Amino acid sequence: MMHEDEFLRVPITMDLTFRYAAGRYFTHFFREIKDNKRILGVRCAKCRKVYLPPRPFCGECHSRMEDWIEVGPEGTLVGFTVVYFSFHDASLGGVRPTPFGAGLIQLDGADTSLNHYLGESNVANLRIGMRVRPIFKEKREGNISDILYFEVLG
Amino acid sequence: MGRSVAIVGTGQTVHRSRRDDVSMMELVREAATSALADAEMRASDIDAVILANMELFEGRALPEMWCAMGAGALYKHTLKIATGGTSGTSGAIAGFHHVASGLFDTAMVIGFEKQSDGQTTAGMALTDPMWDRHVASAAIGNFAVSISQYLAARDVDERHSAMVAVKARRNACNNPCAHLQMPDLTVEDVLASPYLAYPIHRLEMCPTTDGACAVIFACEGKAEKLCSRPAWVRAAVTRHDLPYLGDLKDRLLTMRTLRDAARKAYEIVGIREPIKELDVAEIYEPVTYAELAWYECLGFCKEGDAWRLIEDGLTQMDGVLPVNPSGGVLSTNPIGASGTIRTAEAALQIHGKGGRRQVPDVNLALVTGYGVYSWSDVMILSSSKG
Repeated sequence: MMHEDEFLRVPITMDLTFRYAAGRYFTHFFREIKDNKRILGVRCAKCRKVYLPPRPFCGECHSRMEDWIEVGPEGTLVGFTVVYFSFHDASLGGVRPTPFGAGLIQLDGADTSLNHYLGESNVANLRIGMRVRPIFKEKREGNISDILYFEVLG
Repeated sequence: MGRSVAIVGTGQTVHRSRRDDVSMMELVREAATSALADAEMRASDIDAVILANMELFEGRALPEMWCAMGAGALYKHTLKIATGGTSGTSGAIAGFHHVASGLFDTAMVIGFEKQSDGQTTAGMALTDPMWDRHVASAAIGNFAVSISQYLAARDVDERHSAMVAVKARRNACNNPCAHLQMPDLTVEDVLASPYLAYPIHRLEMCPTTDGACAVIFACEGKAEKLCSRPAWVRAAVTRHDLPYLGDLKDRLLTMRTLRDAARKAYEIVGIREPIKELDVAEIYEPVTYAELAWYECLGFCKEGDAWRLIEDGLTQMDGVLPVNPSGGVLSTNPIGASGTIRTAEAALQIHGKGGRRQVPDVNLALVTGYGVYSWSDVMILSSSKG
């Protein structure tokens, strides 16, 4: 019988690039953030729900959505965490530095919320209901990371 | 509704954090062989094979090709199901549908995951690259955010959560296949373990596990001959929801997929008071707080009263409704198999083969699956065909 430690493992490390098509809705959404620091949602004409991220159809009532509406930039923290475990970063590869604050932000005027970084990583300074505002990148590229994080206003 | 269908055999591997002694295919074979032995069947008696696995966690494409030989699936109707955490229960539901349809008399469902081969936390963070992948922190991160909402809305404190962890790891000691068996674990130990992501301590989260589980379904007419006490599938319901975490308002509190799946399943079987009528439940609880939230969604208690169930011991082995005698996902989590294990463990209780984890006189057993942010599966198994 072989002992548990005697079995071999074959390590493989990959460095790969993926290219995801943004499509019409995300392209418009990212362009507005990049060029004008404006965050846009879409409203369902039938159920009046304002969706973030924007998408062409309402999942609830299947209506086509064409009604673009500016939301935020400020919003309310509706859920939060501070992450201590070093996760693999599925955007950049490698291990993400910890600790960091993250949460769900409901931007003013939107009915859904946005999952993003917080500028605060001390649990004692975070609570549901706090007001937050986005801090934009200086040189924006047209993706969600053009918002660096949300600053907690109190 | 098609033909009546029952589970006539189950088999599991020994589940551990690393099974370096077997390849993925060998792991699958171990579960399949065990289920066939349990049902006293041969591989040639199986008409259809359903495999359940999340291949991007291992980074190994086409597991159905690598594993078909081990599953005894060559020259047979074979499909793969990959729906995140629900893979194992969705696979079981697919196996049930295959036999209920009348097209196949028997089907074997095998859920498996070899988490130690790959990068599950990275795999789980492969969410929409347009939206929240940059901040995604696997199940731990998204549950942590949802639990902050749950804690703000409910009279639950972290001791109740820790009690769920202790129940799971102690129950696991009665299950020879279980990964985390911790007979001496205390509430204090759980709360002293480091935070993974506030408010989740390490011992409040499920482990990563290598393991596989197989379940054999047979049609009426055959099932009674193969098994002295078949576990009849009385209801099987799946529900999905909107795609983004932020689409789901107060996710753990509302969890409309699980609520609706349970409502529908209870309606099919005619269950009005689940905590009184069900004899055992095997529910998919990736984190302690999920178990508490699911108690409410499954109608085990009034809204906001989940903490009373755990505090009063109602879901312990000797309680009115034992929840997860196996130790649950909190003790054993080979993801593609985790839902299949719930199904197998519920069937095992009806078969009367639970050994030290057997609940006396089980006639009605509940199974749930959970996947991604809010996908839900619910199955109800019964000793009676209905």
